[in-house]
Amino acid sequence: MTRITLGSAVLRGTVATALMASLMSTSALGAPPVDLSKWSPEYVRSIAGTQDFDTAADCAKVTPLDYKGRLTFWYQGVFEGDPDLLRQYYKEFFETFRKTYPNIQLEEQALTYNDLLDKFRTALLGNAAPMAVRLQILGGTEFASKGYLEPLKPEDVGYSTDDFWPGAMKAVTWEDVTYGIPTNNETMAFIWNADIFKRAGLDPDKPPATWDDVVKYSKQIHDKLGIAGYGLVARKNAGNTPYRFMPQLWAYGGGVFDEATANPTYKEVELNSPQSKAALQASYDMYVRDKSVPVSALTNQQADNQPLFLAGQLGMMISHPSDYDVMLDLQKKATGTDKDKAQTVIDNMRYGLIPTGPDGKRAVVFGGSNIHILKPEYVEGGKVDEPAAKAIICMWTSPEWSLKMAYAGSNPGNLNGFKTKWMKERLDNIEFLDVTTSMLPYGIPFPALPQSPEIMNIIVPDMLQNALTGAMTVDEAADDAAEKVKDLMGGL
Amino acid sequence: MTIVTGKAEARRRLQPGRSGVLRKIWEHRADYAYVLPAIAVMLIVIAYPIYYTIELSFFKTPPGLQLRDKIFIGFDNYTTILASRVFWKVTWNTLIWTLGSTFISFVLGFAAALALHRDFIGRGVLRAILIVPWVISAVAASYIWRWIYHSDFGIIGAVLVGLGLADRPPNFIDSVSTVLPSLIVVNIWREFPFAMIMMMAGLQTVPEQLLSAAKVDGASAWQRFWHVTFPHLRNVSTVTILLLAVANFNSFIIPWIMTGGGPSNASHIWITHIYELAFGRQLWGVASAYSVLLFLILMTLGYFYVRALSGNERKEGTA
Repeated sequence: MTRITLGSAVLRGTVATALMASLMSTSALGAPPVDLSKWSPEYVRSIAGTQDFDTAADCAKVTPLDYKGRLTFWYQGVFEGDPDLLRQYYKEFFETFRKTYPNIQLEEQALTYNDLLDKFRTALLGNAAPMAVRLQILGGTEFASKGYLEPLKPEDVGYSTDDFWPGAMKAVTWEDVTYGIPTNNETMAFIWNADIFKRAGLDPDKPPATWDDVVKYSKQIHDKLGIAGYGLVARKNAGNTPYRFMPQLWAYGGGVFDEATANPTYKEVELNSPQSKAALQASYDMYVRDKSVPVSALTNQQADNQPLFLAGQLGMMISHPSDYDVMLDLQKKATGTDKDKAQTVIDNMRYGLIPTGPDGKRAVVFGGSNIHILKPEYVEGGKVDEPAAKAIICMWTSPEWSLKMAYAGSNPGNLNGFKTKWMKERLDNIEFLDVTTSMLPYGIPFPALPQSPEIMNIIVPDMLQNALTGAMTVDEAADDAAEKVKDLMGGL
Repeated sequence: MTIVTGKAEARRRLQPGRSGVLRKIWEHRADYAYVLPAIAVMLIVIAYPIYYTIELSFFKTPPGLQLRDKIFIGFDNYTTILASRVFWKVTWNTLIWTLGSTFISFVLGFAAALALHRDFIGRGVLRAILIVPWVISAVAASYIWRWIYHSDFGIIGAVLVGLGLADRPPNFIDSVSTVLPSLIVVNIWREFPFAMIMMMAGLQTVPEQLLSAAKVDGASAWQRFWHVTFPHLRNVSTVTILLLAVANFNSFIIPWIMTGGGPSNASHIWITHIYELAFGRQLWGVASAYSVLLFLILMTLGYFYVRALSGNERKEGTA
């Protein structure tokens, strides 16, 4: 398998790191465990495996290991699009927790990304929430702003705020108070099938440099081979949609607000700016004009693109490094000639940086998840076992487990995770990890606003669907979405 | 002349007015005592949510505030709904969905019931097979149909392309013009067995001697159906149609799982829209106002349902 040459991309990444460092800097940044200004795949390799951590001993300082209590806990768990490897680590985590804290009665419940918010909101209305919850990065400010969460900072479970990505800390901060701790943070990468590229007359080792190239390549693949070029995703109420469209929107210079700038104010709505419309136009061109993407994009999630890619019916997509493992898992389930076909696709799977916009801007969603403790009045039974909650939070956000729980597809929320021996092992085992590590400097967090879940899960996908179905023109769809955001922000 | 004893007079005095509702209640006081626990439970689990929904429909619930901090805005939610373009689109979708699903399910179910009413070899097996769509989980059925309809690698598309009948798979659920009819087909597939069972039960009540007499009198098959069978089925038909209509008006699983109301709201019906407003956008007040309107419509249908049932009972009572 050919590894892509990162060369110039890494160089640009280093330059962009300076931008990221300013983007993510906080005044609290004293002596960070890793030097973000030096961020590159080489730097990550240099620090991997340089420090040992004893999770049980560290967490014993927060909650004694013989502590007796009870904890209800909901978390965004693994779903059909995740690799089996991740399932194993989740299983191992809860087994280890029970062994480490044998006297804590843990009642955990896994929910999928798309179901968690709805269920959690409903539970809160009935004062039936769990004591602790691990939410997607979008959810933190919504629940913090409404007063459902207890203040919680890394120091409360034995870590330092400097141990975490400053950008991730913004997502758990509301009106200068911290309400949670990041568990994992991620940036995705661009994936393509070199064999399809070759057969379509494209350079198999050269990904599209810009989003305009993505549109061109997608058309060329479709016209030459009759298959889908790019794996567009535009389903509503699915996290996959903003994670794939926002990088495109930002690369063109657009945005919902000014979230892609160094010091966002979230004052002006920019969804209908010429740059945002250009990004929407690119999706329109692929879906409507060229018909070069899956027709099912409007009802698809990334989990639907994965089998298409493995079947050699899709040329390019945006996803995690974990998709490589997912492909291996799916290939194991294939039979007969399908197995060989799948192997050919896996052998030709390439990862690269997400393309830039016309002005050279490269962007990716700085995603992830956070863990929180609820206020007692919103919890079933009206009581929160805080030591028990802190015990599980300490373990999950430890260097060891924040890395293991993000092993295949993400990055540890706790930056010390990069120094562990498991990171070193991971760099050897997980293909293409370097690429997503290189994308971290381009990461842009979603706006840290309570309205963000609605904007990202409903308004942005609606805009895409309105344009792609012809229900509205590109201009109308962008204007309509901008108006909806203004209305939303006009409330309290 | 009637002799009134002291005891009887005392009982008479204890009773409320001789006419009116109170007297009837008094006469049936034991019956009411028996159903009191059930009424109490209903008040808690039905009446209170209805009251709370109505109350909530007069409040604004901004995304940055908790529900308890809601702001009173009078009838604004109702005027917002009625002025909204989406409301009319969703209402139109709901009407098409409800009428289309109800009418076609009924007709197909009735036809199947007539066919299965006759005795033939394998009738029992066929009955069992036709009931399958109704008994399997709506969630499972929705996921299966999503794959059947899939616009890129669905079974229908593969068959059509394989047989050379189409160049590319038809777009069933990713197009604003085809998504609703495609979902209605799934709903009919799931519902017509219910209509079939109801009508089969109704057919059992048609007196065999009347049909025989009509036959002796020279009535054709169509005349026997139209003048003997159909009039006997009028009440069961009314009840079946009303039950189907209420179920379809309230239908959630199929459209939500298959399309989530999309693309571009083309398959949003009232109930899915209410869900999205409440749980996706947290517009609890607007969603409650929608729910109140939906409640009124369903109560109207419920009134006709009860009237149809009462009509049935009255006829049976006088027969």
